[in-house]
Order: sequence, then C-alpha cells, then structure tokens
Amino acid sequence: MLSLPFNVSQLLSQAGAMFPTGPMDIAFYAVAFIIIVTAILTVVVRNVLQSAVFLIFSFLVTAILYLLLHAEFVALAQVMVYVGGVVIFVVFTILLTSHLGEDAFNVRIPKIFAACTLSLAFAFVMIRCILPVKELATVTTTAPADYSSLHNFALRLLGYGADSFIIPFEVVSVLLLMTLICAITVARKGKGEK
Amino acid sequence: MFTPSVTHPIGDFVRKLVPDAMGYVTPYLPQSVLEYIPAANSVVAFLINAVICIIAVCIVAIGNAPILIYMERKVCAHVQCRLGPMRLGWHGTIQTIADVLKMLFKEVYAPKGADKFIFYLAPMVVLIAPFLVLTLIPFDKNMVIANVPVGIPFIIAVNGFGILGILLGGWSSNNKYSLLGSLRSGAQMISYEISFAMILLFVVMVSGETNLLSITQGQEGTILDWWIFKIPVLGFIAFVLFFISSTAELNRAPFDIAEAEQELTGGYHTEYNGTAFAMFYLAEYINLVTTSSLATTCFLGGFYPPLIGVEAVDSVLMMVPGFVWFFAKVYFMIWCYMMVRWTFVRPRVDQLMDFEWKFLLPVNLVLLGLGGAYIVLFG
Repeated sequence: MLSLPFNVSQLLSQAGAMFPTGPMDIAFYAVAFIIIVTAILTVVVRNVLQSAVFLIFSFLVTAILYLLLHAEFVALAQVMVYVGGVVIFVVFTILLTSHLGEDAFNVRIPKIFAACTLSLAFAFVMIRCILPVKELATVTTTAPADYSSLHNFALRLLGYGADSFIIPFEVVSVLLLMTLICAITVARKGKGEK
Repeated sequence: MFTPSVTHPIGDFVRKLVPDAMGYVTPYLPQSVLEYIPAANSVVAFLINAVICIIAVCIVAIGNAPILIYMERKVCAHVQCRLGPMRLGWHGTIQTIADVLKMLFKEVYAPKGADKFIFYLAPMVVLIAPFLVLTLIPFDKNMVIANVPVGIPFIIAVNGFGILGILLGGWSSNNKYSLLGSLRSGAQMISYEISFAMILLFVVMVSGETNLLSITQGQEGTILDWWIFKIPVLGFIAFVLFFISSTAELNRAPFDIAEAEQELTGGYHTEYNGTAFAMFYLAEYINLVTTSSLATTCFLGGFYPPLIGVEAVDSVLMMVPGFVWFFAKVYFMIWCYMMVRWTFVRPRVDQLMDFEWKFLLPVNLVLLGLGGAYIVLFG
C-alpha cells in the first residue's frame, strides 16, 4: 500500500475552498490557461518559426495578465520589447537556418521521458509549496488606486526621493550604452579588412 | 471592483434603453459575480456599447479603404497626365467596388510547399496594429473609443505587429522574391520605427501628455497653437521628420523597397490572392488612415477648426463639426502621401538604411535635446 505524505482529498477540498470565483479571478484563470497552452505549443511544435509565433502569443497573453494587475506600462513594455525582440529572432532564424520547413528536430523517446519526469516533479513541488500559502488567495491590494499609472510610474522611476529609482535607471542606461558601443566595435570592419 | 465606463453620449442613450434587461439574467448568476456588479443595467449598456464601438471601428476601417483606392488611382493618373478609371459610374466611382467584389470571390489557396499555418496567419497579424490604433484616435471630443492614459506608448508597442506579419507572410510563401521582399521590409521597418517613435516622444515631451485626446486639447485656439507652429521652427522640422519616417513605416514609395515591382515582382504578398491579399491591402490603407490621423492629432490640431483670430471668419469655421475638420485634415495628409509617392524616385536599399541611421536618427536626437531646451527656457 502506497502511503502519500499528505491526504489527497483533504488537499483537494482545501484547494476548492481557497480558489476564489470573482470575475477577476475567472479572468485570471482564462488568461493563465491560454498562457499554459501557448507555452506548451511553443515547445511541442517542430518548426522554429511556428514556435516563435506561439511564443509571441504567450508573451501577449502575459501582457494581458499585467493589465489585469493594473500595471499598464509594464504590459506595454512587455509587448514592445518582446514582440520586437521575437521579430528580430525571426529575421535571424530565416537568415541562419537552412531547410527551415523540413523535419528540424528529431526528439528521441528517452528524452521525452526525462523531460516529463522533470517537469512533473517541478509542478508537484510548486503545487505542494504554493497552494498551502493562505495569503495568495486572500491578500488584498494595499497599493493606492493609481499607484502604477504611467504618471506615477515615471515620477517614481526618475525621482530623487527615498522610494525612487533614478540611480539604478542611470546605471542600466550606461550599461545599455556600453553594450551598444561594444556591438558596433565588434561589427565594424578593421582598417585592413575588406 | 469592476466599474464599466460608458463615456459616450450614445452610451447614456443605450443605458436608458436597457433598464430591466439584466433582470432576466440575474437569477442565473453566482452570488460571487453579483457582488462585483455595481449596477446591472450599466453592464448591459457597457456590452452593447462595446459592440457599437467594434462596428464603428470596422466602418471607419473598411469604409475608408475603397475611397482611398479610388483616390490613389485618380491622383496617380492625374500626376501622370492620364484620366484613371472613367467608365463605371460617374468618373469611375463604382470601379473600386467592382474590384473589391471580384477579389472577395476569388479562391484562396496556398502555394505548394508553403507553411499553411503561418501563411494564413500572416494577413491577420498584419491587421492587428491598424485596428488597435484606430480605437485610440479621437475623431471628435466624444468620438474616441479607448481614451487610455498610455496612448502613445500603446501605438509604439503595437506597431511591431506590422513587421511581424510581413516577415511571416514573406517567409511562408515559399518564394525567393517574397522572402527577399519581407527581409528588406523587416530591416527597413525596424530601423525607421526608431525615428517614428522618437518623433512621437518629442510630441509627448513638448505637450506633457501621452493621452491622444489631451494632446489634441493642448492645441485648442488659433492655428498658431497647433504643435507644428506653436514651437517656432522645431515643430515644423519635427513634422517633416514624422512625414519621412512614417512614409517609410508605411512601406510606401519612395521607400517601397519591400515591394519594388521592378526587382521583386510584388514583394512579400506575391503569392497571396483573394481575401488574404485583400487583407494585406486593407492593412496598408488603414495604416495610411491611422498614420495621417496621428499626424493630424499630434501636429495639426486634431478636431479643432483652423481659427485665424478674426471673429467673423472664426464663427463660420466653428459651425462645422469637429469630425469633419478631422477627416478634412486626414485626407489632406493622405493626399500629401500620395503626391510624394508618385513624385519621388526610389532610393537603393543601402541609401535607405544610410539615410535612417546616419541622418534621421542623429537629427532626431538633436531635436529631442532642443525640445528639452525649449521646455526649460520658454515652457
């Protein structure tokens, strides 16, 4: 007789009591479901470009998730950065891969088993650790109403006060500038080359 | 808390019409949902309003396209000393409708060896951005569908879908010309998107608003209060730069190296026919409308009449409703795009990229700096 370390039925009833069913929660379940489906399709589909398309859909739905959390600018930044990024990925895929449409990946069975085991174990650990946390379901929002609106967001990002982020912002800008200059240095031709 | 917002007068009208409709639905809804609904009839009004908004966007998008196709043919013909379509209807007005009907009745098929999924997905992806941008544009004081605080960042964000759709369509056609066309267009649009976004950010900077309606309302007054004239010289330079970079964004001549009939037969949509091709075409023309609307909103005073400060003339101009002015300005911009298209010659690919990276982008950066200086000194 296999004895589990916890009572399954008790856990299920606990989970049923914990899952809220307000409109926003239902919206969250729908969005989360679509994220999971598109994420799985990204991995399962054999063509690199098709998986790029599904990746974009998954990022888009993640942006909707941010919108549900009233983080408008983060959602837009998600679309801006990732759709643009994946577009460039698509360009490079087309440029660098030959025979793109053909049978690209030949996944062998043992690998699938290993992957399934790993992901199932991961899912088990996540559910076991996260579901018992009561605050996840019952926590109320403590931020003021338009805490993450574009105006307040920008003021906090570029302000000088104790709760603002001007120094990290500047450091990140300098870092990006450095990478830009490095990329140009690598890409440009030397004097002798033709 | 879910509070449906119905900001339009038509929304209030709908709300009065459906006071009791919710009573039929309420017994079947779970208690947890009912707690969140503040006033039942406003939810129904909200839903009906959403349907009205969708229909309105479709009318603006699909209604403008045949007019623009007819206009393009006529402008092209008259620039080249021809007459254009003349036989069907008065001055060939029904010609476009006949062409659209013919296109819709054609069979849709993918070429052999094409990736069917991406091939049929690409035209839909191309249509995402223009429809989303149309919802943000204030056609009049009350005629804006989504009055969101993050208007300009939203436009910059969704613009990427146009590039994506063109790339996917070109690749999945299984045709070397299409692939070349789409790669060229991808490189071009990614580059010019930067200066396009920077000009929009310049407008955001000088007006201090990201909401398109607020940007328009900041230009109320005489013609000198429009952003193109309000900041001496800088506004006009910004407008010209916007015009150049948006022409490249639209893939229109003289920057149409993506299609370049002489070199690539038709570019990324060579293999498309019937409805799928019509969708690419539709996206192109809605993009023309949205870009012209953006130019109108950001530089030409949006829906405000061009007042000149003389009382007698102004009172006459004020009698014309705002959306008439808006569409008049939009069609003036479209006419400018068309004249540019049939007047200038196409640059080579490398000249085009040089122009963006070595001229437009530095000028844009300088312009942003000067705009900041203007705000500090005079703002």
